[in-house]
Amino acid sequence: MKHIETDILVIGGGATGTAVARDCALRGIPCVLVERTDLAAGTTGRNHGLLHSGARYAVKDFESAVECITENRILKKIARHCIEETGGLFVSLPEDDPAYHEALVQACRRADIPCREIDASTALAMEPNLNPAVTRAVTVPDATIDPFRLASANALDASERGAQILTHTRVTGFLLDQDAVAGVRCLDRCTRETFKIRAKVVINASGVWGQELCRMAGIELIMFPSKGAMVILDYRINNVVLNRCRKPADGDILVPGDTVSLIGTTSRRIAYEAISDLRVTDDEVRTLLKEGERLVPNLSRTRVLRAFCGVRPLVAASPGETHGRNITRGIVLIDHQQRDQVKNFITIAGGKLMTSRLMAEKAVNLACRKLGENRPCRTAAIPLPGSEKPISPGVRALPFSESVAQSTYYRHGQRADDILEDSDGGTGLICECEMVTSREVAYALKHLHVKDIVDLRRRTRIGMGPCQGLFCAYRSAGAFIEHRHTDGTDATKMLIDFLEERWKGIRPVLWGDTLREAEFSYWICQGIFGLGKTVASSPGRGEGVCLADEFE
Amino acid sequence: MRMNLNNSTDYDCLIIGGGLSGLACGITCLSEGLSCAILSSGMSALHFSSGSVDLLGYFPEATVVADPFDALPRFIDMHSEHPYARCGINTIKEALSFFRQEMAKADLPLHENHSRNHFHVTALGTLKPTFFSQQSVFNQEIRSVIDRTPAITIMNIQGFRDFHPGLAAANLKRHKLFSACDIQCAEMHLPEKEKNPSPVHAMRSIDIARLFDTMDPDEIARHITAACPDGDIVGLPAVLGIEHHNAVLDRLREKTGKIIYEVPTLPPSIPGMRLDNALKSRFAAMGGVFIQRETVEKGTIADGRVTSIRTKNQNDTLTAGFYVLSTGSFFSGGLVSRFDHIEEPVFNLSLARSPEARCLGSENFFARQGHAFLSAGVITDEAFHPKTPAGETVENLFCTGAVLSGYNPVNQGCGGGVAVATGYVTGRRIVRDFYAITNQRQGYPDLP
Repeated sequence: MKHIETDILVIGGGATGTAVARDCALRGIPCVLVERTDLAAGTTGRNHGLLHSGARYAVKDFESAVECITENRILKKIARHCIEETGGLFVSLPEDDPAYHEALVQACRRADIPCREIDASTALAMEPNLNPAVTRAVTVPDATIDPFRLASANALDASERGAQILTHTRVTGFLLDQDAVAGVRCLDRCTRETFKIRAKVVINASGVWGQELCRMAGIELIMFPSKGAMVILDYRINNVVLNRCRKPADGDILVPGDTVSLIGTTSRRIAYEAISDLRVTDDEVRTLLKEGERLVPNLSRTRVLRAFCGVRPLVAASPGETHGRNITRGIVLIDHQQRDQVKNFITIAGGKLMTSRLMAEKAVNLACRKLGENRPCRTAAIPLPGSEKPISPGVRALPFSESVAQSTYYRHGQRADDILEDSDGGTGLICECEMVTSREVAYALKHLHVKDIVDLRRRTRIGMGPCQGLFCAYRSAGAFIEHRHTDGTDATKMLIDFLEERWKGIRPVLWGDTLREAEFSYWICQGIFGLGKTVASSPGRGEGVCLADEFE
Repeated sequence: MRMNLNNSTDYDCLIIGGGLSGLACGITCLSEGLSCAILSSGMSALHFSSGSVDLLGYFPEATVVADPFDALPRFIDMHSEHPYARCGINTIKEALSFFRQEMAKADLPLHENHSRNHFHVTALGTLKPTFFSQQSVFNQEIRSVIDRTPAITIMNIQGFRDFHPGLAAANLKRHKLFSACDIQCAEMHLPEKEKNPSPVHAMRSIDIARLFDTMDPDEIARHITAACPDGDIVGLPAVLGIEHHNAVLDRLREKTGKIIYEVPTLPPSIPGMRLDNALKSRFAAMGGVFIQRETVEKGTIADGRVTSIRTKNQNDTLTAGFYVLSTGSFFSGGLVSRFDHIEEPVFNLSLARSPEARCLGSENFFARQGHAFLSAGVITDEAFHPKTPAGETVENLFCTGAVLSGYNPVNQGCGGGVAVATGYVTGRRIVRDFYAITNQRQGYPDLP
């Protein structure tokens, strides 16, 4: 059996796990990351992509607010190509309690979150689509962050600095050495190969899945998953992050991102068993649209592209806690040697996308103590690949239109230079909605830990636009054959998996143009491609779409 | 334009929707001397179709139908609300034969397999049962060559993004009919033209098809042979011209000595456009008025009759003796789905079911049972007259094609057949009713 040796093994390829891998690599510590599915496929990729200023927490959770504004400043430096500095507004509507506005301003000042009170007309000038009933607003340094890009850039930096990133790899069990964790057994889900990874320290950064993972190591760690649903609109109807100036509740954040806007979120406690089968309900969609419309009235006339949900990984701080009273939304760092008498095993959980870098720092600091290392954390100072300096697309002659080049820079920062100038991969567009070229796809397939078309979507935004991915998915399947020599049947399966994955988000919002688009896709897939009749779509059946008898 | 026989209205027959069904209906009416206009809002759904016409592909369930006319009696028994049940088998036969004759007159010969189904190969290498195909997809020669386990090359035009032979080849190889065949992938270069409008990778199927219309077929043939020296069949993306495809195909066949097979791929569908062009040219040649890019703002119904319709762009009020609603389903705008209900936007007709919009989709995109949105639509009586929400039948209005409920075009493999059959049968009824009224007025006895 294949086996890998390393110093630190991190389990989980979300924002935290990839930040841990990068942190290790920057300290020069050998590290391996295993991720069950894909980078940013869990909670990381299932939030609103808001780079919090901390204002949202300032009134109720001062510590989180301070963490947010600190990390906000760091991320704007090290991850600038993942961030759009839109600015943010806390907007008071007539029905909102004016006292909350006062409390927010005071709390922001205390937490050193720069804020400015503005009147209704100034707010409307900043954001013309805003509800004209707005009474006043507060500006804060909110921004937007692309979590897929952040995780991908972390992983890219880590792997370029020597870390090994293994996606689509499931941990099947722990290697235990008496009272110590010595590594894990793994299954490569693509090749079905099993192997072992031996490590001096194992860091569990698997978020809400940490409960299952810890159970494999004989440890009880109770999670209290809370589902958050979001709805994506087909247009960028706002340019500034809009927050309702009230006690945080459902549907009070409207975040612009790339070509779309997103309303978030709801909060519903769910059973742990439900985390792998999340669905957005009609009720959630209704609530989000109703509340979102209060912020931006023309939202009701905007096409809804899709709906999705994620799980907040809330952790019970102490063992034996089963009722969820003593849970925290803050960062939870657990040294299982102290808590459970299991050596060389650390859990880093709780927290937020905003604090993922800080969480990694804390976890790797603890791991270093276990390794007897004292190399300092450098993640706050060194920019991520692509974010070295602000983007200034050159005037070099490229065989691309300006808008295509801009989109590539927008997504990959300075790495776009390599992509646009690479002669491998053509200059044609794979995804017209998001202007993804076949060069960008070739680059992602080569460097960004992509194993299927769904992964490719997270690295490039193919299939995230109005068409929700039919042309681009078919062309991407072709790219897998061209660049990876993927077998045609496997590429067909990837195409089907991609379309099924997109469908999950489309189905809850199946009306208006979204239904029209879905019907169109369905005709193409079935009427022209006959996709539903491929062997890949119905294993073992073969459908008998055979008129062989006719021809005998 | 043909003079309308009934001078009190603008047209004898006014058809809303210029897709397969509306045009089939219009041509039927014109062929019996009625004056007829079609209002068309945009691109026909044919541009997103395979370009073959299905009659009945799957029954029962997902079982492939070999002989649709053999299967239809039992199919109709089991689906009493299906449009086919209201057409009757003989009329369906008549409709198909009429349609085929009309397409032949428009220089688009359609091939059938002795009134049984044949298959066409998809871009994903699956086989789909269908009834009529263009000669690049089915003819007796293809049929006889398939029997001899031919060597097959699936060939793309280098740089063309919308066709990937590897996907087609891999799935085709897994099919028992082709498992013994040698299936290869290849790429041909597009012959250099002095003024290729743009690089191949920026072209859609339509751009390449237009080039094929103007390029020297002998040169294309040389490039095909260079990319595939051996092999009996060359499967190319369906881009072999729109205007001159018959000539291009014949010449390529002759020069390469191979069967040239067209595989429809990402839209716009060239075979679908050929059908659309042929229908429109027939309609125009027979004196029909085709009003492009015009939608109907509202139709007015009084005392169970449509009195007029108002157009959106010109803001015209148009009248006719008979009206036909062939506006298609959701995609084409014939049905509109809102957050909590679906509706028919022109006349607000009664729908077969008004489930909450969000129940229109199955759990999986490729669910066996398909999706509820596919069978949603207007309910009608036996003659395809719809009803108002108050339950009143609208006597001079007919519904045809995808706006109708009661069938699943994809799962049953019957979309094209229903469009043609309901269009034709409605055209016949209008003709009969029209002459009944006219003859009555003129004191002649009813036609038998």
